[in-house]
Amino acid sequence: MSIIEVKNLKKSFGPLEVLKDISINIEKGDIVAILGPSGSGKSTFLRSLIDLEEIDAGDICIEGSYLVKNGVYPSEKEKRKILLKTGMVFQHFNLFPHLNIKKNLMLAPLLAKQDTKENIEALARETLEKVGLSDKMDVMPSTLSGGQKQRVAIARALMLRPDIVLFDEPTSALDPELTGEVLNVIRNLAKEGNTMLIVTHEVGFASEVANKVVFMEDGYIQAVGSPDEVIRNQTNERINAFLNKVK
Amino acid sequence: MSDIASWVSQMLVGCKLTIELFAVTLVFSIPLGLILSFVRTAKCPKNTLGRVLYCCVEWIVSGFILIMRGTPLMLQIFFVYFGLPYVPVIGPYLTFDRFPAGAVAFVLNYGAYYAEIFRGGLLSVDKGQYEASKVLGLTSMQTKFRIVMPQMIRIALPSVANETIILLKDTALVTAIGLSELLKVTTNIVNRTTNISAFAVAAVFYLIFSYILTVIFRKLENKFDF
Repeated sequence: MSIIEVKNLKKSFGPLEVLKDISINIEKGDIVAILGPSGSGKSTFLRSLIDLEEIDAGDICIEGSYLVKNGVYPSEKEKRKILLKTGMVFQHFNLFPHLNIKKNLMLAPLLAKQDTKENIEALARETLEKVGLSDKMDVMPSTLSGGQKQRVAIARALMLRPDIVLFDEPTSALDPELTGEVLNVIRNLAKEGNTMLIVTHEVGFASEVANKVVFMEDGYIQAVGSPDEVIRNQTNERINAFLNKVK
Repeated sequence: MSDIASWVSQMLVGCKLTIELFAVTLVFSIPLGLILSFVRTAKCPKNTLGRVLYCCVEWIVSGFILIMRGTPLMLQIFFVYFGLPYVPVIGPYLTFDRFPAGAVAFVLNYGAYYAEIFRGGLLSVDKGQYEASKVLGLTSMQTKFRIVMPQMIRIALPSVANETIILLKDTALVTAIGLSELLKVTTNIVNRTTNISAFAVAAVFYLIFSYILTVIFRKLENKFDF
């Protein structure tokens, strides 16, 4: 069984059809890079997997439970249960500015009663260490650089021990010299066997880290395959033109 | 000099009423404003019953705010004190003494103004905060109280401070229904002694209260600075 199964997904914003007919299976442990020009629907696709966008038709099945079947969603409670298996990292970090780093990390597990407070704090310490920011436990988000903020955001997403982590252009809001530290953290997570979907413009990073590359355009998946198939040995002219432009 | 001492002791009695009205208004109008602002920023539900209910509540709240902001506070005080008892059927139950009548008018009026201030604050909280809360599994209540409110308060505080200082000075309006607050007491002194310097003493009282409020709000702003 695939960890994520998407079938005939359709989504419109008013008259604009953003996702026309998306079907894809993602296996446990897959590192999926989603590439494509702006407006191709890649962010919308990623956001629909975690219910930030409500789809119009199709199925999304996560670890055997339907988040949506034939365009119909289950109850809020049921949805929440399914979505706890998925974490997300945003382009603009979206840290909680009024809470220090420790509280940013601990809030969700505490509210979900995931564990005792002591254990959650220990987990926060351990997770911050993983992203190389163990000295930042008690500072406020406003004192961090963009790259540090994004690493905290990744740590925060990991606190709920998700089986799947979604990254929506995690380095697009960063200065070029800060993307490296964030990509390194994602690279390390990839080695740990997490299932990850990454919408990115970093073609080099995608071909290095991902085992599956998805190329989207005009609301369709135009190509799926290994980095070799989709990036290195691409024969489609339009895809090649795009890849050359962002390289 | 003994004149001034006797003025001050009379004015202190007036101050008591001014402060009571100010405190009652603040304590009730801020929660009222919060509730109204939540209603006005709530999203329309998808099912039919929810949508009808939402539209009704939304219409009532907008109408209430329009009336409260669109008519003079003095008129509202008159209406509550003199007018409400004439309302058919429920009128006899709406007969208030002077102080409760003034307080009701103040709470409703300031509730409407605070509601708009809080609404402005709520609208300026980034939508990414709601999205982050959702993907972390927070319920809408948890999101509202743990994430949105603290950020809204920071944005709203300077305007709340402004409005609260206006409230302090507006309390003088209840003179119109015969309550002896600070300014009324002062006017009586001036009429009796034909010495207008009592007004200067009253001004000092108002300035001291405003200054205390300014200091409190500055402390609050520092607390919510992140």
